[in-house]
Amino acid sequence: MPILTRGSDIDGGAMKNPMNAAQLKRSYNIQRFLEGWSLFYENLVGRIGLILLMIFGLMALLSFIPPLIDPMYHPMTGVDPDISRSTPPSLHHWLGTDNIGRDLFSQLLTGARIAFLVGVSAAFMSIVFGTLIGMVAGYAGRVTDSLLMRFADIIMVMPSLLVVLLMASFFGQLNIWIIVLLIALFRWPGVSRVIRSQTLSLKQRPFIDMARVAGASHLRILFRHILPNVLPMALLYMTFRVTSAIIVEAALAFLGFGDPNTVSWGMMLQWVWKTGHMFQAPYWLLPPGICISLITLSFYMMGRAMEEVLDPRLRKEGQRL
Amino acid sequence: MHFRQLILRRSLEILVIFFVILTGLFLLFHLAPGDPVSRMVDPSMTPEDADILISQLGLDQPVWLQYLYYVKNFFSGNFGTSFHYGRPVVSVIWERLPNTIVLFTTSVILSAMAGVFWGKIVAWYKGRPIDTWVTILSLVCHTLFLPWIALLFIWIFGYGVGWFPLNGMITPELWMNPKTGFFIKAVDILHHMLLPLFTLFIIHVGAYLLIMRSSMLETLSEDYILTARAKGLNEKQVRNRHAAPNAALPVVTSVGLSLAFSINGGALTETVFSWPGIGRELIFAVSNNDYPLALASFLFISIVVLVANLVVDILYAYLDPRIRY
Repeated sequence: MPILTRGSDIDGGAMKNPMNAAQLKRSYNIQRFLEGWSLFYENLVGRIGLILLMIFGLMALLSFIPPLIDPMYHPMTGVDPDISRSTPPSLHHWLGTDNIGRDLFSQLLTGARIAFLVGVSAAFMSIVFGTLIGMVAGYAGRVTDSLLMRFADIIMVMPSLLVVLLMASFFGQLNIWIIVLLIALFRWPGVSRVIRSQTLSLKQRPFIDMARVAGASHLRILFRHILPNVLPMALLYMTFRVTSAIIVEAALAFLGFGDPNTVSWGMMLQWVWKTGHMFQAPYWLLPPGICISLITLSFYMMGRAMEEVLDPRLRKEGQRL
Repeated sequence: MHFRQLILRRSLEILVIFFVILTGLFLLFHLAPGDPVSRMVDPSMTPEDADILISQLGLDQPVWLQYLYYVKNFFSGNFGTSFHYGRPVVSVIWERLPNTIVLFTTSVILSAMAGVFWGKIVAWYKGRPIDTWVTILSLVCHTLFLPWIALLFIWIFGYGVGWFPLNGMITPELWMNPKTGFFIKAVDILHHMLLPLFTLFIIHVGAYLLIMRSSMLETLSEDYILTARAKGLNEKQVRNRHAAPNAALPVVTSVGLSLAFSINGGALTETVFSWPGIGRELIFAVSNNDYPLALASFLFISIVVLVANLVVDILYAYLDPRIRY
């Protein structure tokens, strides 16, 4: 692999060579990605996680189909006119129905969509907060650093589920986006600590000094030089945050504080619990719980495998990136 | 830094954090839409009683004075009256607090100990089938959805096999009977406690095991392990006396960091099992718009988490002399 040098651009080498600097960099990135991918794929845990995740992705995509076939399959409003109580699985209702005759299978599919929506968006937001705060704290140092980190400590000791519950009691029914935002607001401290420590060590590297000497502003150093280097770690933490976001949302819904306009797996569990069907209807109790547990497991497994790709110390001997 | 200084500093920090939480709750209470007076005063009270309560809580004063009243009331233990129970909130809390502390501390201690033990063993056999399968099993345990697994356990072990009671903390008939001895009562509580405890244990043990495993792997590559082997100690001594104690330190840290997570789980467990703890009380109060009870329960849960954090810090400093000196 040819090494990228600045000289080749200036003397016009790039003009003769069909591969210019940007292309070179891209092909280098692609190669790195492929190597990382093969490491990831060699990992049993990562492979299981990915396959599980693809199944859930498929479920989320398929969730749009049942309501199109027949309006009675609509997860929230569709009611089978012939059924007035919870029924076991049948040909018309693959997983049976709930106590008012709604189709459980289509509810389960919709739950996958909500889980992805909540998990990924809350995780993304908490990563954005965490990375920004961590970078600023690590880069600025001194008072800013200690203030931000003390603040992170305070948020870290708060039981997030119970805080969101308390908010629900003060502000009334929360909709799904407010829940997502609240989860994100309570889940950034862990990320920001890791990003901060990475920034602290990056700050000592010569290339940051060079950028400063070349006249780069603080913002430019932060976003052009430090951010690309901490991004892999932030992405890794995002997979773990997806897990915790899905769990918090499901727990809220289970306790009856979810968004009443959405059908999530936690909501399904709340219905089976509150209507007293938990001993009578295993076909209703088992699937949502298995789904929540497996989707969090799949993100967690992906995260563990990614961790091994990113951290050379965790690799087996002979493997390299 | 000396041990006593360290404890003093951490206590001060925790006091500051508690004040921030206290103030944050006050702000939340006043920023939320609606009238603070109607939140603290039970609608079914007579106007005279309501006036007494309002002046006690300082709700007829300007906001900054209200804050001072609020802090003063907190330290004198006056949280108003619970709407649902119709008696002072503080008496409800005192009843529930020990139940939560018992369940919470036993589950954290047991799962951390089991995690350390199994993590040590599994790391020792790295790469063998036992390692692979126990690691995957702990990942599964760690990501199980707590309320669901609790319902499942109640269904299987409570309803199906009938080994354990379905919910609650005591058998009322047994406790009504004046002839029941102390020992029988204790066994009764334990019998009710086993299933919630087992649920919390399953949820927590996986995470501790994984942390212990990776920390043990790191420790095993240290030079002093090589030295221990070189001087002819047998493998068991190397594992249990030289590697494990050092490797267990990160587990202690992670216990501290996951306390908030554990108390979330504790509240869910208490709710599903109808264990009369403070977490269940908070969820119950929030569902019933019993604001005085909700506020006080939240504050006391924060205190439990903060004190547990302090205990973990002290334990860490005790176990790791490098922190002390």
